[in-house]
Amino acid sequence: MAKRIVVDPVTRIEGHLRIEVEIDKGVVTKAWAQGTMYRGIEDILRGRDPRDAVYITERVCGVCVASHGWTSAMAVEDAHGAIVPRAAQLVRNLLTGALWLHDHPLHFYHLSALDYLDVLAIDHYKGNDKELLAVKNKITSLVKAGDTAPLTPRYQPDGYSIRDPEIVTTALAHYLEALKVQAKAKKMSAILGGKQPHQSSIVVGGVTIYPKKEQLDNFKTILNEVVAFVETAYVPDVVNICTGPLGQLGRAGVGAGPGSYLAYGGFPMDDLGKDKLFKGGFVSSKSPGVVQELDISKITEAVASSWYSDAEPANPWEENSEIDLDKKGAYTFVKSPRYHGEVSEVGPLARMMVMQHPPLLNIMSKYGIKPGSVARHLARAQETLLITEAMYRWLEELEQLLSSKTIRPAIHDHEHWDSPKQGQGVGLNEAPRGALGHWINIDNHVISNYQLVVPTTWNVSPRDDYGLAGPIEQALIGVAADPDNPVNVVRVIRSFDPCMACAVHLIDADGVRMFKI
Amino acid sequence: MKREGNPAESGYQLLERKGISRRDFLKMCTITCTALGLDLGLAPQIAEAAAANLSKKPLIWMQGQGCTGCSESLLASLDPSPDQIILDLLSVRYHPTLMAASGEQAVQSMEECIAKGKYILVLEGSIPTADPRYCMVEGKSFIDQFKKAAAKAEAVIAVGSCACFGGIPRAGFTGAVGAQDVLSGVKIVNLPSCPVKPDRLVSVILYYLSENALPLLDELKRPVAYYRYTLHDSCDRRLHFEKDEFLEDWNDAETTDYCLYHKGCKGQDTYTTCAASWWNDGVSYCGHAGSPCAGCSEPEYYDGFAPLFVNPKEEK
Repeated sequence: MAKRIVVDPVTRIEGHLRIEVEIDKGVVTKAWAQGTMYRGIEDILRGRDPRDAVYITERVCGVCVASHGWTSAMAVEDAHGAIVPRAAQLVRNLLTGALWLHDHPLHFYHLSALDYLDVLAIDHYKGNDKELLAVKNKITSLVKAGDTAPLTPRYQPDGYSIRDPEIVTTALAHYLEALKVQAKAKKMSAILGGKQPHQSSIVVGGVTIYPKKEQLDNFKTILNEVVAFVETAYVPDVVNICTGPLGQLGRAGVGAGPGSYLAYGGFPMDDLGKDKLFKGGFVSSKSPGVVQELDISKITEAVASSWYSDAEPANPWEENSEIDLDKKGAYTFVKSPRYHGEVSEVGPLARMMVMQHPPLLNIMSKYGIKPGSVARHLARAQETLLITEAMYRWLEELEQLLSSKTIRPAIHDHEHWDSPKQGQGVGLNEAPRGALGHWINIDNHVISNYQLVVPTTWNVSPRDDYGLAGPIEQALIGVAADPDNPVNVVRVIRSFDPCMACAVHLIDADGVRMFKI
Repeated sequence: MKREGNPAESGYQLLERKGISRRDFLKMCTITCTALGLDLGLAPQIAEAAAANLSKKPLIWMQGQGCTGCSESLLASLDPSPDQIILDLLSVRYHPTLMAASGEQAVQSMEECIAKGKYILVLEGSIPTADPRYCMVEGKSFIDQFKKAAAKAEAVIAVGSCACFGGIPRAGFTGAVGAQDVLSGVKIVNLPSCPVKPDRLVSVILYYLSENALPLLDELKRPVAYYRYTLHDSCDRRLHFEKDEFLEDWNDAETTDYCLYHKGCKGQDTYTTCAASWWNDGVSYCGHAGSPCAGCSEPEYYDGFAPLFVNPKEEK
């Protein structure tokens, strides 16, 4: 007899997510992902000055800050015909690169690790390391005081939980250290962006800041500290834990997605932005390992299961969706983006698959790890190393540009600052959580249509016109789960690092799933 | 602070056991005094009172229509550091982004805290009033859950402009409003800006822990210390404004430090200490990065200030 369970709220993600699963004989057989919060950002944008879109969409999400502001600027620049000077590109790369350096470690330690670590095993730590003993004392003093919030309550540790006191204590020490490191990485973004979260220096056509030498020196000092943590703590922890205690989950490919991967590419490496740090492309589940060239005309959004008036799947420029809270058969306001009709995963694993990134593929093949939750954590760590390496190159290039005695490099396309009467643009980028696209139409100098197709919309999408379930819904099928302690369910969900505020078109009517099976 | 039988002594020992040195804690309280515009001589007094009262205060942090930017902003604090805030100062019983528990367990943790009372409630994000379905948690309407939690709270802190006045969502059709619009008979403090400025939040919490009261508030329920003067009053570009010197082109070396009014700066109408007390460990603020103030801490924000990047004189 199948048992239906609800996890709501799913915590340690961004925003409001409700997951419903059916468990039969200890295995998930059906899953529904539902967003339960709606703000109507796209509606707010209609009729506005196109340059405001950068400021407003920056606030779509306070976690992947700068990603939306930047991508929005790209869309409006496309419509304005603006060209972003190289110095401004570099400021954007550095400002946003710092975001990735805070976001990926934070996801591992603060959003995911508590699902894998039996925190209380720290009591059995018998080593002599001074720092680890301090962490042990800190946690045991919380236990003695009878107040271990927010580390408890929790799902009970299961057969996959890590109980080795040495690993647990080290990971917790890094959990605490990472809290400081992520604050430092935010400070890096603030040096170039005014503040973080919600930097303000990225505007249509470039950036507003002309960095001074002492600002870049300060940036570099902090970068060194953050990179040291990434290289000596974060990446080794992820690799050791994923190939060691979690190897079994990894080899079983628990949490495997649809097998199709999409990336738009991001972080321009040259003047024209043709070469990018992360490459764009598509890998179909029908031909694994073959990377197809990206064709954005193949992107459509369906609304079959979403609280929007009925419409055929459409390209974002053509979409004109209206809210319909009472639509029969709908169960979420997340739309269903598809690439050439295929359900596609986006995010670190997708990016590394599109790049066929050798370091990740080597680890996976060496330890027999299949695509799934564990592979996602590994991919996230590997791409963080790509960012750290690139940060130094960008910084050096920017320092050189700015140190010229003869030419003051431009930071803004002043000529294309004002909005045209008519225009159409698209911004395609990579955010920490995956492929991010903004589409804009300008009519009579104001926004006539604005569509965001964000990473979490891809990953949390519901069933489409053909009844195909979205990536997370698919990833949950077949996962071993105890209805009374569904820790494996949340492990799979969190490996995607969902960001619900980004997937803005979401609602769950009455909290009752209206969708009939 | 060397008096015999100091009642704060046990508090300090408690702190030290938890890895906060007396010096660190005193420093934290000095920052609080500075931030709240209090006499610096009061710092030791506040430190004593806070240390003596220091059983960790239970905290419930709820998220309505928001972006989690205010939670991230709290974690951007470097002094005190995030681990000191969430493990040493407070007992975080409910926080959707930080807590280990999910689903029923998470909700249960909140309900137990409500039943026991004596907690601080923080709201991040706005509350939809047009239709409760615009924000639901655990299959229930957020507005009802928030009111229930607020009724038993010692104080409610609305963090960020969405939670104070509706913020950006108020420009949409979901009927988004702030905490004060749905509550009555509850102590509320508003800390508007987008996101919340973390030192303000930490200082208000520390002040509350030591004094069992909220700092002096203005008619919009904002601490007077942070919202008494306009950004314009302390802006380092102010002299250029007086000389009618305005930045028109961000590339122009001559005018880099000129007034940003022609780029749409709302600093003259925005009450905030941003220009005097910078963000992210004091490293910068919007104006220092060359971008115009968007008025993010004002009740009119965003709708009342749009369009953002246009010379207000040209617009009207």
